[in-house]
Parts: sequence; C-alpha cells; structure tokens
Amino acid sequence: MNMIVLIKQVPDPETLVEIAASGKDLNIEPKFALNLFDEFALEEALRLKEKHGGTVKAICLGGPKAIEVLRTAVAMGADEAVLIEDESFAASDGYDTAMALSQALKKETFDIILCGRQAIDRDRGEVPQMVAQFLGLPHIGVIVKLDVANGKATAESALEGVVEVIDVGLPAIFTAQKGLNEPRVPLITGVMKAMKVQIPRVTIEDLGIAKDMQPKTTVLRYLPPKKRPAVQFIEGEPAQAAAEIVRILADVERVI
Amino acid sequence: MDFSLTEQQRFFKGQVSRALGRIVAPFADSIDKSDVFPGELFRELGALGYYGIRYPSDIGGMEADCVSFTILAEELARVSIGFAAIVTMQCLMGTDFIFRFGNDEQRRKYLIPAIKGDKIGTIAFTEPDCGSDLGGIKTRAVKNERGYILTGRKLWITDGDVADFVTVAATTDPGKRLGGIGFFLVEKGTPGFSMGQKIEKMSARGAATIELIFDDCQVPATSLMGEEGKGAKYLNDILSEIRIMIAGLGVGLAKSAFVAGLNYARQREAFGRPIGKFQLIEEKIAEMEVRIKASELLTYNAAWLKDKGKLTGKEAAMAKFYSTETACYVVDEVSRIHGAYGLAQEYPAQRYFRDGRFLLFGGGTSEILKTLIAKYTMKRSDFEIN
Amino acid sequence: MNFAFTEEQEFFKKIITDTVDKMVVPRAREIDEKDEFPWELWKDFTKLGYLGLRYPEEIGGMNADPVTAMIFYEQIARGSVGFAQSVIMNILMGTYFVYRFGSEAIKERCLYPAMSGEKVTTMCFTEDQSGSDLAATRTTAKKDGSEWVINGTKMWITNGPIADFATVLATTDPSLGAKGLNFFLVEKGTPGFSPGQVLDKLGCRGTITGELVFDDVRIPEENLLGAELNKGIEYLGEILDEVRVMTGAMAMGIAQAAYDEGLVYARKRIAFGKPIGNYQLIRAKFADMATEMEASRLLIYSAAWKMKEKLPSRIEAAMAKMFATETCCKVVDEVTRIWGANAFANEYNPQRHFRDARFLLYGGGTHEILKDFMGRLLIGKA
Repeated sequence: MNMIVLIKQVPDPETLVEIAASGKDLNIEPKFALNLFDEFALEEALRLKEKHGGTVKAICLGGPKAIEVLRTAVAMGADEAVLIEDESFAASDGYDTAMALSQALKKETFDIILCGRQAIDRDRGEVPQMVAQFLGLPHIGVIVKLDVANGKATAESALEGVVEVIDVGLPAIFTAQKGLNEPRVPLITGVMKAMKVQIPRVTIEDLGIAKDMQPKTTVLRYLPPKKRPAVQFIEGEPAQAAAEIVRILADVERVI
Repeated sequence: MDFSLTEQQRFFKGQVSRALGRIVAPFADSIDKSDVFPGELFRELGALGYYGIRYPSDIGGMEADCVSFTILAEELARVSIGFAAIVTMQCLMGTDFIFRFGNDEQRRKYLIPAIKGDKIGTIAFTEPDCGSDLGGIKTRAVKNERGYILTGRKLWITDGDVADFVTVAATTDPGKRLGGIGFFLVEKGTPGFSMGQKIEKMSARGAATIELIFDDCQVPATSLMGEEGKGAKYLNDILSEIRIMIAGLGVGLAKSAFVAGLNYARQREAFGRPIGKFQLIEEKIAEMEVRIKASELLTYNAAWLKDKGKLTGKEAAMAKFYSTETACYVVDEVSRIHGAYGLAQEYPAQRYFRDGRFLLFGGGTSEILKTLIAKYTMKRSDFEIN
Repeated sequence: MNFAFTEEQEFFKKIITDTVDKMVVPRAREIDEKDEFPWELWKDFTKLGYLGLRYPEEIGGMNADPVTAMIFYEQIARGSVGFAQSVIMNILMGTYFVYRFGSEAIKERCLYPAMSGEKVTTMCFTEDQSGSDLAATRTTAKKDGSEWVINGTKMWITNGPIADFATVLATTDPSLGAKGLNFFLVEKGTPGFSPGQVLDKLGCRGTITGELVFDDVRIPEENLLGAELNKGIEYLGEILDEVRVMTGAMAMGIAQAAYDEGLVYARKRIAFGKPIGNYQLIRAKFADMATEMEASRLLIYSAAWKMKEKLPSRIEAAMAKMFATETCCKVVDEVTRIWGANAFANEYNPQRHFRDARFLLYGGGTHEILKDFMGRLLIGKA
C-alpha cells in the first residue's frame, strides 16, 4: 500500500509571536517544529505500513529550513521525502498551497493520503479539503481511527458528542485528529539514516505552476487578541452588592 | 578602639557554646534528616532561660545587649541552622510584638511561657505572592463589632505546625500598601485559623515551614498589636536587629563549615601529603579566613553600634548581606575541599551547603539590601565625612 | 571559521532535545525523590539505541563524532542528571576499554549487551583514600598462573552495586605508582566480587553509588584490558579529553535547565507592582548567566571539534570542563536566588539543579588539579 503524508513545518508552540509595527506582519522567533497533527498522520501511515506493507512518502511545502521536518519523518520511518521549495510561496494562502500539493500528488501513485486536520500556526484547516477537491478524491476529516481491508478503508471521525463511522473506497484523503495514536520516538538508527539522507527539492515551476500566480486572499492586518478583562470583585452585603452590580452594568458598562 | 568582647560577653559565649554543644550538637544531623520540630531540645534550652535574652528580668528575661544576642545567634548557627531558626524566631520576631503591645492577659498567657520555652511563637508575614514586597500582601483584616475578621493565606511560616501563637500581618486598607498593614495576635485553635501544607525543603530542615490559612477567622479587638496601619513601622523598629541576628547566623555557619574544611584539609592526603599543603587549597583557606573575619567584624560592629544607640539601617544591611554571602561562599569552598565526600549525607559538609541558602532570604535578599545600602550611600557616605 | 552546527548536527540536536523532553524530563523529579535506578525509563530509552553512540556502525553503534556526542551529553543531562550518569557510563567509561582491548568473547558477553541496555556497566577508579591521586591506588592485581587475583575496595562507584560488569583500575606494584596501573574486567557473579555499602547522596540521585569489594577475585588472563602491562594511565589518556569535555557538556545541560526555570519565574513573579524581570539586578543576572553559558558552549564545542579533527586538545578539554562547570555552579546559584524562598521547596526544580551541579566539580578532575596541571603545561611551553 502506498501512502503519502503531507506535513508542514510550523513555529514551535513555545515561540514568542509579536505583531510587527506595520501591523501587516508577524515577528516570529525562529524556532520550528513539525506540526502536531501531522505527527499523528505520519504515525498512522507508519502503522499501516507495518500492518499491510508498502511505502510511506512525506511531502512538505516550505522554505529551506523545512527540510528538518522531512528528516524527522525519515527518522520515524518514512521511506522517502520531498520538499516543495519556493521563495514566492512564502506569502501564499491555503488555495495556492493546496494547488501546489495537488500538482505534486498528481505525479504520484497512492492509496492513502494522510495529513493533520489543521496547522497550528494558522489553524485554518482548509488545505486537505481543497486538495481533495482538486484531485477529485473522497475526504474524511478529524479521524481518530483508521482501518484498511480489501482495498477499502473504515475510519472513525470524532464529532461533537458522537463518533461517525465511515466506509470509503481508496484512494482517499484522511485528516488526523488528536487521539488517533501516540507518535513514536525515533530510534537512533532512524536518526542516523535521516541525518545522511539526501532530500530532493522541487520548485513550483517543476510542478508546472505559473510563477506569477497571485494569492486569492490577502492579509489586511494583524490585531492583538482582546485582553481578558480583569475580574472586578463587588464587596459588601448581597443587597448592596446587587445594587452596585446593576449600577455598573447600567451606568459604567452600559449594557442594560 | 577595642575590638574585644567584654568579660561578661566572653563568659556568656563560653556558656552558650558549652550548653549547645551538650544539648543540641549530638542531634544536629537527626534534626536535619527528620525535619520535625525538636520539641524536647527546644524545651531543654528554654528552661535555661535563653529565649528571654532580650527581655527585662521582671518577666524572666536576661536583659542582654545586642552583642550578646548576636553571640547567641552565632553559636546556635554553629551547631544547627534548623534549630537556630526556631530559637531566634522565639527570641525576637515571634515574641517582640506581643512584648511591646500585648495586654497583661496576653503576656501572661503567651509571652511569659514563651520565654521559658513552654509556648512557641512565630510570625506570619510572607504570602505565596509576596515576599520582599510586604506592602503587597493580600491577607485582609476587616473590622467588625467583635474585633476583626482575617482572611488570607500565609506561606513559609516557620514552626507554623507547632506554634501556639502567631503574629499575623494583615491589611485593613490594601490601597495604602505598607501604610495599611497591622499585626494581629492569633492563637492556635481559633476557629477559621488552620494549617495548610508543609513545604518540604532542602535547607534549614527542622524549622518546618508551613502554610497557614485564615478563613473568615474572627479575632477579638485585643488581637490588634498596637494600632492599625502601623505594622510596617513596628517591623521597621526591629528590622535592623533581625538583620544583625541573621548576620550572626551567617558568621556561625561559616565558622563551623570552615573548621570542618580545615580539619579535612589537614588530614586528607593526596600525592603524598595533606591537601592543605597545596597552594590552591591554601588559597581557599586564606580567602575564607579573611572573609569570615570581615563578616564577624561587620556583624559585631553593627551590634555594638546598636547597643550604643548609633545604629543606622545601613550597617545592619551591610552586615547581613556580607555575612550571608560569605557563608554561602564558605560552604561552597568547603564542599569542594571535601571532594566527593562533600556529597555524602554522612558528612556535615552537604548540610552546611544546603543550609547556606536559607540565610539568603530572611531579613531581605542580597539584591534588596544592596539597593538599600546604595540608597543610603547615595544620600551620604561615611567615607565622605572626614 | 564556521561557528554553526552542520545541518545534520542541528537535526540531531532537535531530535534528541524532543526525545529527552518527551521521555526523561517528566520523570526527573521522581528519579531524584525515589533515588532508585529508573529501570522502566532505562528500558524505554535504551531501546532507542543511543547507548551505541560512540561505537562503529558495524557493531550496531552510531559512530558519532565528538561534536555530535557533546550535543547528546548536554541534552541527556538537561533531562535528568541521575539518569544521565547511568547512560554515559554505558556509552563511554564503562565500555571503552572492553571495546578497545576485549576479546570477541568478552565483547559478546559485555560490550554488545551494554550497548543495547541489557547490561549495566561502570568503571572503578576511586578508592577511599585515592581520588585525584590515582598513584595511591591500593587495589592490587597479582598474576597467579593463568589468572589475575584482584584484592581491594573501590568507593564512589556509579551503579557499582548493580553493575553486570566493571572496568577496575588496579596496580600490579604499588611502588611503581601511576606506572603500575592496569584495567581489568570483572563480571558480576565472580566469587569474591561483591557490592558494599550504598551511599546516600546530595545530588545525582537515581544512580546507585557505592562500594565494591574485591576479595581474592580470580579472573582469566584475557580480562586484562590492555595490549601491554602497566600502560593503564596511557590508555586512560585516550578518553580523558572526551570525559572532560563531556562533563562540561553535562554542565551546560544542567545550566540550561536551571536557566529556563529562572526565565519563567522572572517573567511571572510580581513584586512592588511588576514582574521582577524588570529590575536591573535581576536583568544583570541573566546577562551574566547567558554570557558565561555562551562562552562555555564555545569552549566545549571548540574542544570537541579539535578532538574530531585529531588536533591536540588536552588543554582545551580541561579549560572547557572547568569553565563550563564553574559557570553551571554560578547559574544554579543565581537561579535559586531569583526564585527566592521557592528555590528550596522540594516541589520545584531549582533546588534539584543546585544539588545536582556539585558532582561536576569532581568528575573529570577537580578544578584545583586541573589548574595545577594546565599551569604546568602552559608555563612549561613558554
């Protein structure tokens, strides 16, 4: 069974993020990590390989530093990895990302595509669905279980309060949710292999995408999230406190 | 200039040293290991009358001067920092406020027995979020017809688990910060006053530090020591004395650690001779000797100035800062001299090393004290006056 | 001059940092509190294969160069010193002479199982009366027919009481001083070889440190780990630099763990209306700590690089060990001050780093010994 995992390098969850003076950019401390949800996707692909045989290939769209997450994939057990690298894509949006990934995927043979349900930097969770659309593939989201038998997959999708069990023919795209599995810690043999492996790079032109493609969305500006308001304690006897609260709501906050 | 102790002070030092050597020294390690209040030793020493060292004879005190009190602190620290912390609390902070402001009933019930070692007193100032910044404490004292209601949490309270009476810092007006603080005498067993968790520590073990909880604790009006809002001033009255006392603890710890290191350097051999004969060890010995002497001079000079009525806050801060930093320096070097044995629990070197840290906080961290000294000096330095 | 790690080294650093964060850091406090060998963590961690770090790929190792090895040592110490001590024994000191001089049969029995974590090993140098002064070793090895007979008592042996095999330093002739020293392999179960008392320690809790007693222990000829007799000190020289730089790297691991705790506290602890990180004296501490840690790391990796390039590194290794260790002791001290009284609550980590840092002062040579040795070399050169 051939599996492809789409992975993304994101800022480390502990990095400091600040809004630039212009308001149109973010200053992010340069510390990176493999996107958490992609780790679950990768682990699931490796488990399926262990059970059914086949290969696991990791594809990443990113800058030159993103090679690191592809090496991590190899360390964990991925057979191949490729980086889609292009400066111009630094400012791209979800549509462009999905387009580029889809073009790369068109050249591959696969039974299953796995990715994280969302990237923890932008939290949009839109790329896998668009890739499914571009490739004309079925898409099952936020899976917490995946089984394969006789060329078909059965996935469990975690929704609000219920679990949906879905059968789907292959090939198909699945997005991983937390709880799908516990990602493995790489063995030193994997680490050694990953340190030496040569990871091929592919540019946007190689994929046949026009170089001057404009993103369909533009970021206007970044705003800091509203600070949680301080808690104000109202002292005194209940009757007085109630009167005070009413006064604050009416005269100060003017919400009644 | 006469830098020697008077005959009475020398005699006192000898007495204290002998008493502690007999009563407490054999238990120093077990106090440290168990981290349990050494009740028997406490009472034994109390019976000898030491806890009243600063108080008048008509209530069973010794009316001793500051130099003598510092000598007591030094000798206590030589034997056991954990025990020293308990005793100095009893002699000074734990009892001073009830001595100055308690009514007859309170003094009879608590102060007189405390001086004999029959009751244990402590203070509760520090909170989880407030150490150096006393003005920011959140424990509230709200006046009512029966007295005051205390609400809040105190942390790091020495002897919190065994104290019979506690002087608690609470604010009647948080907006005034230091100016809103009052001290309240709270008795063990008062409804609403309870013990929380014990903090397991690596330093000053034996002087257990406990969390105290005040949950709508009603105390009588007489519980207020002195006046509302005057707490910070009352503390300030004895702050220099506390600092000199801690400086004394530093001198004692440094001396006992130093002697242990000295003895080790004399008897441990390597490369054919005692390691004390190698220059690098000689260097350590020399540095320690000089710094301990300097600490001793700064400390007793401050105590002497107090006795002469000429002390400013600066000398006390200088003595505390220098003596405790020296103690930490000494216990570090002594642990190095001991080689790997500096790590073994069966040698005291590691206990001295751990105990040194305790001296860095009580009475003001070195950082706070340095800014204080600088503020005095920026206004006027002794060295500018001819 | 290139001051950066290679891409591969950066990647390795990321993986080992994440691995330590996931597997070791969460158990560090328990290891310290229980002061027992952490068998479960040992099994989980050794499965990953890192114990073969320094040995050739052909026998299942990673063939890591000194720079990569230092990256590993720093991270494992950052996770837990008590655990790291055991790991490094198997990686280097406890297995090196077996690897270098052991017969194939010995390697099968000892080296390969140690690399997989199946066996725990250690080295025995120190005795009650000899630490720095190896020439004063009193454990003797006497040839008797085709056997060696070992007699003596070793002290302060990391995991000695639980070791499956040990590399023992013994003298064939005390009058020869350092020139009579040799390494011998002694395996658990050999009659006369037994653990003595176990030491209760201030720091590095999680290793079983204690005495080992050798009472007419008979071992076959091939258990002499050495091509020639009485060359022990010379052979020790082969790993001495690495042991020293490794100690320096571990010092940086501990310092980093403490430093990170200091940052958290300085940012969130409020006093006099603002986080204490706003005050000059606290800021100065971080400036000093960061500067000295940076300098330490440069010394460590520069020494490691020299070792990698097979350039002379004896002085540089001693410098790195000393400077990094002194820096670590300063950092753990300052961090306990930044934490105020909370620094000595057992519930928090700063007190553990403070206690753990002390062992660095002895392993690989006390600073007094190193200074004397370095001074002698430097002045000699001039």
